[in-house]
Amino acid sequence: MTSDDIENATESSRLTSVFCGMTFGTPLVLLSGCVGFGEEYTRIQGFSNRDVGAVCLKGTTGEARAGNSPHRVYETPGGMLNAIGLQNPGVDAVVRQILPGLDFSETRFIANVSGSSIEEYIEVTRRFDDSPIDAIEINISCPNVKEGGVAFGNDPAMSARVVEACRKVTDKPLITKLSPNQTDIAVNARGCIEAGSDAFAVINTLMGMAVDIETRRPVIGNDQGGLSGPAIKPVALLKVHQVYQVCREHAIPIIGQGGVASAEDALEFIIAGASAVGLGTALFYDPLICRKINHGIERYLLRHGVETVSDLVGSLTLNRGRPFQCGC
Amino acid sequence: MKHPDHRESIFQEDAEIISHDCHPCEQYVLRLRAPYCAAKARPGQFVHIRCGDALPMRRPISIMRVGDDRIDLLYKVVGAGTRLLSQRRVGESLNLLGPIGKPFPLNPERPRRLLIGGGVGMPPMIFLAETLKAAASDTFVILGSEIPFPFLPKPSALLVPGLPDSVIGAMPLLDDWGIASRLASLQGFAGCHQGYVTDLARAWLEHSDPGQLADTELFACGPHAMLEAVATVARDYTLPARLSLEEYMACGVGGCAGCVVEIHTPQGPTMKRVCVDGPVFKASEVFPV
Repeated sequence: MTSDDIENATESSRLTSVFCGMTFGTPLVLLSGCVGFGEEYTRIQGFSNRDVGAVCLKGTTGEARAGNSPHRVYETPGGMLNAIGLQNPGVDAVVRQILPGLDFSETRFIANVSGSSIEEYIEVTRRFDDSPIDAIEINISCPNVKEGGVAFGNDPAMSARVVEACRKVTDKPLITKLSPNQTDIAVNARGCIEAGSDAFAVINTLMGMAVDIETRRPVIGNDQGGLSGPAIKPVALLKVHQVYQVCREHAIPIIGQGGVASAEDALEFIIAGASAVGLGTALFYDPLICRKINHGIERYLLRHGVETVSDLVGSLTLNRGRPFQCGC
Repeated sequence: MKHPDHRESIFQEDAEIISHDCHPCEQYVLRLRAPYCAAKARPGQFVHIRCGDALPMRRPISIMRVGDDRIDLLYKVVGAGTRLLSQRRVGESLNLLGPIGKPFPLNPERPRRLLIGGGVGMPPMIFLAETLKAAASDTFVILGSEIPFPFLPKPSALLVPGLPDSVIGAMPLLDDWGIASRLASLQGFAGCHQGYVTDLARAWLEHSDPGQLADTELFACGPHAMLEAVATVARDYTLPARLSLEEYMACGVGGCAGCVVEIHTPQGPTMKRVCVDGPVFKASEVFPV
């Protein structure tokens, strides 16, 4: 991305930041699993990948996966459940057929790597390392597959092993996507940093369920799914805050995500410690929301006399004067 | 850099409700001012509507008719989303995305077309029929419903050879277009066939000569069981058939892979997105032998 492109992408350089050495035109990141392989939302008139700093592509595995049986999505109060099951054409098809069709002058593209074994994570990461992709997100937190995913992410030692293995086969920025479905996310983050993670995406979905009372069966074909949307925002915000306590001493950036649906939501995450803010479910509500959030953040920065969005990151002042421990 | 052809093919509009008419059993016909969508919509496509602020996820609804700057939809209250939609009043706006999906493809080598719609699967058939007005004599529409039809059936002025004499009920709008139609229901509605839409389809096909059958293609939208029965009819007469499917949907633009159905291709089963890979699929790929 040239500097001219970045100027075109935003109305103000206030929104431009550097994330793991990558220039983000705006702090927004479109989340993996919500925007296919980067070109799906461009169907909508007025939508542009230029309005976001980066686009995370659909979770990719070594071989093609068909994914879960329907129903895969269901609206719940303040959010939705999903259980897609990592449907993807496999890394070879992604690298050979999809990446050449992406316009890298519009935004940064981040691959999302998933697998059932450490060997699969290594293989997929290696393939993306030898591709034009800008960065690699390690998904150790997918709640919707039987093997891998959150089975790795819930165990700090396993998480670190996956990160360490991927680190050995790529020099591209490595972002670890952390699960909220674990005892102490900060412990996991610390281990992943030591294993070589350059950044974090916080959080993936929370595990959830919905029941059809007429059939007395789960609505979701996979029985359980990942809960996203505004309902999970307070949980995500706290997780970002907790992970930031570990990250700031290492200058490790965070993509804060979970229920962001407005500029105000995005600002909360940035203040809590996120250098970039992920959008997922909100796109389903309003696919043209990115520009609105960008403008909202920009207006806030102007109103508060803050030079750039980076200056706001982690500017939270705690009421109790020390990092959050326990609410009781 | 060449971008995909699909770019900017879907519009987001705040569509004003022009009329919102209630029909029996919580069926509604909704007329919206949506000029961008109306200008591009084709039969088989749908809109993804935000029913109200209380339920921000959108609901996919088939397009029934288009005018200069408006679209007509038919829906039935089946859940919280359509319940909320039914409470919206004339003059209010609904945010919609559309038109979405691959429309019914028309094969010029099969100009004789049988359209079958069941329940809220009727709208795409009505839209398709309207675009076939110029070929009215080669088009036959069968509509089925287990609740009163969202229009007043009337005896048809158009003869359909091969059907029982008592089955004369038709959709007046289709009669106005010169397109023959007949109605089916298990509820014993006057002038309607007491049975399934596929009973009428078989009778019509049985009365067709080999040359006519070679020109015939089936199109259908409706409940899963009806679509499966239509696929069986198509297979029995060795006819191609196109089915419009539905599934719970999130993004509506191909981004989330939430609305997939299993499609059987020569390479094996695969999951296809109803929103942008469909909603129209080949019957033989939905219901393989």
